[in-house]
Amino acid sequence: MTGAVAVADAPLSAASRLMRLRRIDLIGALVTLATLLGAVVWAFPLYWGLVTTFKPETEIVQPGVQLWPRDFTFENYANVLTQTKIGLWYLNSLITSGAVTIIVVAMAASAGYAISQLQFPGRRFFWAMILASFMVPIPALIVNHFVLMSQFGWVNTLQGVVAPQLIAPVTVIIYKQFFDQMPKDFREAAKMDGANEFQLLFRIYLPMNWGVTTALAIITFIAAWNLFLWPFLAVSSEEKLNVAVGITQVHDAFGVQYGRDLAVAMLAALPVAVVYLLFQRRVTQAIMLSAGIKG
Amino acid sequence: MIRKAFIATLACALLVAGAARATETIVWWDFLSGGDGVRMKAMLDEFNKEFDGKVHIEATTLEWGVPYYSKVQTSTAVGQGPDVMTYHESRMPLGISQNVLSPITPDELAAAGIKGSDFSEANWKAAQGADGKQYAVPLDIHSIILYYNKDLLKKAGLLGDDGKPKGLDGVANWEAALAKLTTKDVAALSVPNDGGTGWRIFYTLLNQQGGQFLTNGKFLDGDNLAKGETAVGEMQKWVKSGWTPANTAYPASIALFTAGKAAMHINGVWEVPTMVDLAKKGQLFDWGAIQVPALYDHPATWADSHSFAIPNRQGNPVDPAKRKLVLQAIHWFNEHSLEWAGGGHVPAYLPVQQSDAFKAMKPNSDYVSLAKTAVFDPVSVVAGVASPVYDATGNYVIPAMMGEMTPADAVKKMRDDLQDQAK
Amino acid sequence: MLKSKRAEYFAAAVLMAPFVVIYAVLFVYPTIKMVELSFTNAPLIGPGRWVGIDNYWRLATERLFPTALWNTIYFVILSALPSTLLALFVALGVNRLKGWTQSVVLAAFFLPYILPVSVVFRIWDWMFDHDFGIAQYLIAPLNGGQRLSVFRTVPLFMPMVALVTIWWLMGFNVLLFIAGLRNISTEIYEAARLDGATRWAQFKRITWPLIWPVTVLVLTIQLILQFKIFDQVYLFTQGGYRVDTTMVMVQYIYRQAFQLNKGGLAASASVVLFVLIAVMSVLQYQLLRVRAQR
Repeated sequence: MTGAVAVADAPLSAASRLMRLRRIDLIGALVTLATLLGAVVWAFPLYWGLVTTFKPETEIVQPGVQLWPRDFTFENYANVLTQTKIGLWYLNSLITSGAVTIIVVAMAASAGYAISQLQFPGRRFFWAMILASFMVPIPALIVNHFVLMSQFGWVNTLQGVVAPQLIAPVTVIIYKQFFDQMPKDFREAAKMDGANEFQLLFRIYLPMNWGVTTALAIITFIAAWNLFLWPFLAVSSEEKLNVAVGITQVHDAFGVQYGRDLAVAMLAALPVAVVYLLFQRRVTQAIMLSAGIKG
Repeated sequence: MIRKAFIATLACALLVAGAARATETIVWWDFLSGGDGVRMKAMLDEFNKEFDGKVHIEATTLEWGVPYYSKVQTSTAVGQGPDVMTYHESRMPLGISQNVLSPITPDELAAAGIKGSDFSEANWKAAQGADGKQYAVPLDIHSIILYYNKDLLKKAGLLGDDGKPKGLDGVANWEAALAKLTTKDVAALSVPNDGGTGWRIFYTLLNQQGGQFLTNGKFLDGDNLAKGETAVGEMQKWVKSGWTPANTAYPASIALFTAGKAAMHINGVWEVPTMVDLAKKGQLFDWGAIQVPALYDHPATWADSHSFAIPNRQGNPVDPAKRKLVLQAIHWFNEHSLEWAGGGHVPAYLPVQQSDAFKAMKPNSDYVSLAKTAVFDPVSVVAGVASPVYDATGNYVIPAMMGEMTPADAVKKMRDDLQDQAK
Repeated sequence: MLKSKRAEYFAAAVLMAPFVVIYAVLFVYPTIKMVELSFTNAPLIGPGRWVGIDNYWRLATERLFPTALWNTIYFVILSALPSTLLALFVALGVNRLKGWTQSVVLAAFFLPYILPVSVVFRIWDWMFDHDFGIAQYLIAPLNGGQRLSVFRTVPLFMPMVALVTIWWLMGFNVLLFIAGLRNISTEIYEAARLDGATRWAQFKRITWPLIWPVTVLVLTIQLILQFKIFDQVYLFTQGGYRVDTTMVMVQYIYRQAFQLNKGGLAASASVVLFVLIAVMSVLQYQLLRVRAQR
């Protein structure tokens, strides 16, 4: 509403000023109202899924809309936790997503630094390749990734799940752009003091861009945690599944149980939701980084 | 003294180590997540208890159909996968062509006490390849049956004094009965609208007319096409006339029946335990199950067989000692298959199938007559569970049933599609 | 001097090595192999015979692949443009809010984006469940009082999957638009207001021209992303009902390779998808460059 106040400073007759204010407020209020309504609509499916998990199965299939459980229960979660291998799937997701994140960030920071700060033969060639492949269509490679992993003997192993996720040109591009913007003086001064390139990277360039690293790490982690297609193809045994795939692949022999199906889904979403809510600003920053490539 | 103690300790240690080594693990995959899955879990527990300390079966239940068979295929191709798995006999030609199954030698079978003569000839032979090798050991014969609600049938005057439905045979009677059973709140018949069930009903109705799906490498050849059209036309009529609800997914179709909102239900015998368990809890009406009525010339019902097979893991075969154990376990499950019959199935193992205990078993004995006129899937690499034939049913027969395509169109497209894929 | 040059080369080699190795082994090599495989009749694992362009010919002449190609394009159309435009409206609305209201509203729009696809599937499958889904209270009156199984009704399938996808991924677009809107200095608006420009005129003359590059960016990102559709379609058709009619390209590749063991044919379909996405990427790059030069 500050805009309306600004307008008030303009030299206008009192009457027309009032008219303007009112009209602007009306449209503004409508837009705001629509936005708020939209947010409620958007959040509702998530809420509805969540609230269903706290109802007993008999209440779930009753007709009518029950916005809050009559009999609040944790039974569905208790069932899921005891009857599925979700604990193991969590662990698998954590290991694979953690490994992907660490390797991708370390590798991208090094490569980004080299391309940004060092002169070496082939530098332009590598940079062109990275730029050219920044939207690598990984799903088109599933067949040959599977063949490759089977040659390594990595099918149905956690390293087999991790490997194809390590192609991350975008991360290199972002690091390069940030390192490009670092003032040259730092570099010169540190070199005078006898620092080598590795010290430069780890003592100066990385710490000074800590925010970028956190942002990239978070978004890489979330993407790895949520990945469906590749783990779905690469894993065949229940013990090696990650959470996102596990909840769709293994059924206990109890027929349709809406509450349990949703409870296991909510548990699968919980870690990423917590990460997002804790690091909201970093996540938003990371999203913008990953898309806002301006060269 | 010290020496003695030392030797004793050593002996103990060796014994413990030996015992630890003696517990062999068999990795087992199955797709049994219906009502029968509960029975299988109980049998597995029993097995593991009986052989505690010696053999332990580690079982995983994967999603039935395409997900299961895709996992089997890809994991065996890269030398992974279980030591033993359940496999549909209908899919044998496809499985053998994909090199997924490891042949079992007569010596191995004999060593485990498995005899071909303990199974019906057709059942045993269906697990053989064109090369005459044995690729699996049957566990059961299963089919589709007609579940019915006695109260609703009685009200419509369709229940005989023996508690079995009457006057359902022949198309005219059948349709009249469906019309009579349909009321404002109750549908006459619910069926799952998926490719699997669609295929089972279609194949049943085709064979009841004496039609053949595959002759000399040709699908729905000659007048078989017209018979196929009649079958699809009949299925379409159920929906069009409002006797059968449209677009019911698998669980919903069962729920309609168990909630009393559908008087009859056609589904596999594997849902018998679902009814039995509900009835035991007092949550189900008086129900029964019979062979699917003969709508045409003669009775016939689609049937398939669950069997056990050893995957042909490339470069990492199941070692001979493990194979021996696996076959012994398979034999154990066949010997105990009376319990499996509690899952609605007909045991493949003749000593159990012909036992008095099985003959007295309800409701199996009410529909076991279907075994005499059972028709198994066509022998083809495009047939069987999760095969192109199942897909094609989902793509053509079901839409026709929902009225989105004419029956004539559906069977023609199905024929051309399969002919194309069989090339 | 020479020594420091050598040290720099050494450092560069060490720092570049992990990336280059991974890139070569996991991207370049499989891509070459994919093209090679596409000219053979090999199964998924194992050798095959050279068959020339037979696989490509088969893709062009058989029934299923063109269907998959068309379904993919249809899905891209249904999801990319609406999710871009809707995101712009939402961003304009959210941008007006201040403080914690803005954070909460933004979170409501963004939270679905961070969910695994299987969770999204479970939630919407439940929302639209034929018998007990809450959405049936809205659907039944529109469908003559009858409940409707929306994901099993073919004409509705793709639009519904697109709707779910928009719900899932739109938050990403909203964030990009908000970033774009924040970059427009408030002074421009103030100046415009002093000139007596109406709200619509402000949008048309200031907001739209400045937000246009972001719109192009968002749209092209969406186009490329949605071409890779598999997860949602696979999950919503689990159970094998009418898979062919709703098949998309990645699903076709999955089916040929992992279900029917036809590695060669799957590879040729992969090459087609690869080329399509590559063309889109080049297009995007060019568009952005044209914008940047202005």
